[in-house]
Amino acid sequence: MNHFGKMKKMLHPLSTILLLLFAFFWMFPLLMALMNSFKTNGELLTNVMTFPERIGLDNYIRTIEKMHYLRSFCNTLVLAVLSVSMMILFSAMAGWRLCRTKTKLSAVLFGFFVFSMLIPFNSVMIPLYKVILALNIKNSLIGLSFVYAGMGVSMAIFLYHGFTKGIPLELEEAAAIDGSSRIRTFFRIVLPMLKPITATICITNVLWVWNDFLLPLITLSKNTKYTLLLSTNTLFGQYSSDWSAILSALILSAIPVLVFYALFQKQILKGITEGAVKG
Amino acid sequence: MTKHWKENRSLLLFAAPALILYTVFKLYPAIVGLYYSMTDWNGLNKEYSFIGVGNFVQIIGDENYWKSILFTCKYVAVMLLAANLTALTLAVVIEGRRRGKGFFRTLFYMPNMISMIIGGFMWNFIFTKVLYALADNYGMKFFDRSWVGDPQNAFAAIILVSVWGITGYLMIIYMAGLQGIPVHLKESAALDGANAWQNFTRITLPLIRPSLTICVFWTLNAAFQVFDVIFSLTGGGPGRQTQSVAMNIYEEAFTGNIRYGYATAKSTILFLIVFLLTLIQLRVMKKKEEEM
Repeated sequence: MNHFGKMKKMLHPLSTILLLLFAFFWMFPLLMALMNSFKTNGELLTNVMTFPERIGLDNYIRTIEKMHYLRSFCNTLVLAVLSVSMMILFSAMAGWRLCRTKTKLSAVLFGFFVFSMLIPFNSVMIPLYKVILALNIKNSLIGLSFVYAGMGVSMAIFLYHGFTKGIPLELEEAAAIDGSSRIRTFFRIVLPMLKPITATICITNVLWVWNDFLLPLITLSKNTKYTLLLSTNTLFGQYSSDWSAILSALILSAIPVLVFYALFQKQILKGITEGAVKG
Repeated sequence: MTKHWKENRSLLLFAAPALILYTVFKLYPAIVGLYYSMTDWNGLNKEYSFIGVGNFVQIIGDENYWKSILFTCKYVAVMLLAANLTALTLAVVIEGRRRGKGFFRTLFYMPNMISMIIGGFMWNFIFTKVLYALADNYGMKFFDRSWVGDPQNAFAAIILVSVWGITGYLMIIYMAGLQGIPVHLKESAALDGANAWQNFTRITLPLIRPSLTICVFWTLNAAFQVFDVIFSLTGGGPGRQTQSVAMNIYEEAFTGNIRYGYATAKSTILFLIVFLLTLIQLRVMKKKEEEM
């Protein structure tokens, strides 16, 4: 065995200990929140480090009502699904044609879309708020999904544009010769071939919309329109010392994304490297 | 000529929906913001007028704004170092293992899935309840201090939670970079008598430079806009001691003052700073890459 191998062996247990320590630290807030979310406030006061006396769902039932969990969940879902559907459809159409059209206009348009990826959200926030007021879409989930679509298309177009380069032109040409219109070709032939990148774009953006806080905070002021994060935030403000309510709310808000993570872990992690390398 | 025209028409038709939404909700606000930053527009009066550089002159004397800029710069600097060091260390250690790679990767990425609003509230519980319990019931006196109520501790707490929230993402990018390093390079270096540290600095680090560029760029961008984690952890307090620029702008526009024009001027300055930094950074990184 060479020197390198020996050292690797020596480092192995050390690295395991280090990783386990980190892992414990990483999971600590989640585990503490989970463990204490089953306790009554009385139990919480005496000791937060012990296991709950019994695993009851009282807190959860109470919280589901208090934060209108179902309604908030559905609002968030509607927002995410609408935003991402539009983003995908519109960006795929645009990205595909931008890649296939070799004119000056095409190059200019592409640059026009891509350049704004440098603009931070904070610096458009207030004028955007004014646009939202002017269009009368404050407190509208459908309206807000248009906003997300508009903010998200740049990146998606960039990715679709890149991906289209890699798919052969022959199929599209054959379809055109057979008399298929562009729209038909797009839906029948192109869109199915874009599937891998669509999956990445879909997952990344669902997570973005789902976890975004600032934009809903300034545009949704009616509590019937609240997203999960807004409801949780309100609950945190209203019941600031009622930790049994807050902790169960935090767990309830974390569950959907954690389920999502369990289901799509591979694609999520793949999407990061893809997006990062191209971005 | 007619063929070009036809192609362009088709292109415009296909790009129209995206183009319209993009123009209305991203480009127009970005451009018109420049104008608003020179008006006295606020939430109280319907009318507003052009006041030139008035807002910018006033910003010069706005102590809270500069404090928030300073705080944000401090935050960015510490985050660049802390988050990237943590992520790179974890990536190297995990990549060097034969077993459990998938498990650790899954686990360390988990906080990135949860919004930092939720994560911040969870940590809020740790800082305001759990640490006191550890101090009182288990004698860990070190923890017996105000974590979110004292400016210095609050800064440390914010960094800790931010690192917790961002590391997984950076780690995945570093891991992808590490996987691209040919094994034989390290092996031959080891044969030549290089130790682990030399191996890391002479081979690994230069070869993962692209990942490093991405991560630094990404951290810089995210850290400059920090909002969620501070909002949920300290709310900018105590006082305004942990207020980031994004929070300062939010406060100016949407709570209390509702001075939109003035707040837009503040956000214009933030944009210029971020933009300048990005340019400088891309330049530096490119130069370094060319030198190699």
